[in-house]
Amino acid sequence: MRLSDLKPNQIATVKAIEEAGQAKRRIMEMGLVRGSRIRVICRAPLGDPIEVEVRDYKLSLRRRDAENIIITEGV
Amino acid sequence: MKAKEVIGEDAEIALADARYDAIGKILETALVRGERKWEASDLLDKVFLNKYVGIPAFLALLWAVFQFTFEASAPFMALIEMLFAGLSNAAAQIPNDVIASLLADGIIGGLGFILTFTAPIFFMFLALSLLEDSGYLARAAFVFDRIMNKLGLHGRSFIPLLLGFGCNVPAIMATRSIEGTKDRMITILTIPFMSCAARLPVYILIAAAFFASNAATAVWSMYVIGIVVAILFALLLRRTILKGEPAPFIVELPTYKMPTLSGTLLHTWERGAAFVRKAGTYLLAGAVLLWLLSVLPWGVAAGSADSLIGQIGQAIQPVFAPLGFSWQIVSSLIFAFLAKEIVVESLGVIYGVGGEADIQAALLASISPVSAFALMVFTLLYVPCLATVGVIKKETGSWRWTLFAIVSEVLVAYLAALAIVMVGGIFI
Repeated sequence: MRLSDLKPNQIATVKAIEEAGQAKRRIMEMGLVRGSRIRVICRAPLGDPIEVEVRDYKLSLRRRDAENIIITEGV
Repeated sequence: MKAKEVIGEDAEIALADARYDAIGKILETALVRGERKWEASDLLDKVFLNKYVGIPAFLALLWAVFQFTFEASAPFMALIEMLFAGLSNAAAQIPNDVIASLLADGIIGGLGFILTFTAPIFFMFLALSLLEDSGYLARAAFVFDRIMNKLGLHGRSFIPLLLGFGCNVPAIMATRSIEGTKDRMITILTIPFMSCAARLPVYILIAAAFFASNAATAVWSMYVIGIVVAILFALLLRRTILKGEPAPFIVELPTYKMPTLSGTLLHTWERGAAFVRKAGTYLLAGAVLLWLLSVLPWGVAAGSADSLIGQIGQAIQPVFAPLGFSWQIVSSLIFAFLAKEIVVESLGVIYGVGGEADIQAALLASISPVSAFALMVFTLLYVPCLATVGVIKKETGSWRWTLFAIVSEVLVAYLAALAIVMVGGIFI
């Protein structure tokens, strides 16, 4: 399952990040690493990007980047 | 041996994992989790990021920002104008003609003109600092990232572009929040096509003279043309000299906070003061230079055919002949490099008439309606004013990019005006 498949208020755990380069580094700097718990809060009014909660703060990322984050549902 | 072979994965991942593992262990022993204090912030997000309410809420806030900026700054603008008019009158009493003219028309006139804009700039920065410190600006970028991304820009480009409608100077300064160098450069180069408030008096003068009942539509079309050209220009830059993907939109959305008085004032002051400092240097030099061009050789009527600016206008007028611009118009466009609304004032000086009605009559006598529309478009698109060029230099830190901005924008303006004259020639 990918982060982009997750619906608002569903909780998941990050398994792997398939991004490369700039985006990957940035995602991990923001604390989205293997094992992080993540909750989708909402989508932007135009459908993209999405807002998620991770490590007690809110992060936004585009669908394109969310598609490269592999997750399992639940904690 | 590479790190990857030892640990079986990228060093970056291993490092990030280990770092957050360590953080997690420390937190377990050190942090006592209190009550979740997200509630109010979550509630605000339900409104501002709502599928249906989000965009209208943004438009309402934007309207409030512009309304506040113009209403609050109007009395201050009048005050500054009065102050400088007084100074100018006093300076005109100096017995030495050259010094009197330099002080009254050149320095005080030019500086006063520019400094009146400090009022709206300060108030706009004040309103923006409030929105920024409250955490809302990050949401606005979030809401509009999708549109901006389609145009090869970043969500954070949205607010600066929008500010361009007020004044390009603070708009370009606001691009500092854009992280990607290319994203930021494209935004800076595109902002001058946003029709700032200073261009409005020029549109109104010309549109009222030539398009009578359709004047409002003609003025409105300037804003639309500006946006269309900005989009095309951004796409062109992204496909040519600033190739690449927009930076990822992986940003924190901070909780909403009540802005503090000292924080807001500090932000406002930092940005506003930068404009005033520039007015005192680049702009003052520019004002004096333009004054020199209009009064030399000494003894000619200011801005007349015999003055340097008149001669320059006549020399390069052939370039503008296809657009149907007279040399008087060309000269006043050169003047308008100082600030675009000067077109109106300098047309009066150069045509040797006073008052809006007489300027309009002089224009009606010298150009066709199609050329008049082309003149509006040219005024919209060509080199931003001296203040904007100054701030482009400051923010890009490069004369090459500054020169590129000037040349490309004059070229775009010329081509757009030419297209209008050619298409207009077919239909009329």
